[in-house]
Amino acid sequence: MKSSMDTGLITNEVLFLMTKCSELFVQHLAREAYAASCSKETSDTLKYEHLSHLVNKSSNLEFLLQIVPEKIRVHTFQEMLRLNRSGTTSDDDDDDDSESESESESDE
Amino acid sequence: MVERIEDLNLPNAVIARLIKEALPDGASVSKEARAAIARAASVFAIFVTSSSTALAHKQNHKTITAKDIMQTLTELDFGSFVPSLSQDLEVYRKVVKDKKDIKASKKDAADASASGSGAATEEAT
Repeated sequence: MKSSMDTGLITNEVLFLMTKCSELFVQHLAREAYAASCSKETSDTLKYEHLSHLVNKSSNLEFLLQIVPEKIRVHTFQEMLRLNRSGTTSDDDDDDDSESESESESDE
Repeated sequence: MVERIEDLNLPNAVIARLIKEALPDGASVSKEARAAIARAASVFAIFVTSSSTALAHKQNHKTITAKDIMQTLTELDFGSFVPSLSQDLEVYRKVVKDKKDIKASKKDAADASASGSGAATEEAT
């Protein structure tokens, strides 16, 4: 995992720490999302929507916004596109973002 | 080096087990949610690593230390992880030390027995 970055040497100790850290993160994410979902609904299934909601809400999960985007409906997306085109500012960045969102939408 | 995003994913079974541990009994997790958590976890690992690397470089260090990671976590608003992590780290250090000790004592024993058997064969001849 870590070889993907331009990191220098990694000691075994740090490797262990990162593993443990990722573990804690996974559990943290699951617990938080589940707690948030249970307070609202009665169902006991953790769904993608709960996660994306949590990511949108918490400031320390900001870096996941692109990774776990909120789902949007196709027609909402089309509406956004139309607005984007009618307004002369059609940023490439914006397009990329919306594309990834529409991809997750099509997964449904 | 990394050709597909999926290559970075952490093992699915491990993720599933961790989620199960974190949630109360009877709770279920949708497939999509599990995939999202797996993705999030790998991104998190890379994110923390690169942040700690940056931090270490800033201090003119080439290797990341445990302290760098702790500091990064605090800066990223994950300070809640630090106490349990340092606890785990201590346990880990102890285990490593014990292993080393055992290895050292084993080596001593092996040396002793080797010399012992050497003496025995000498006697036999």
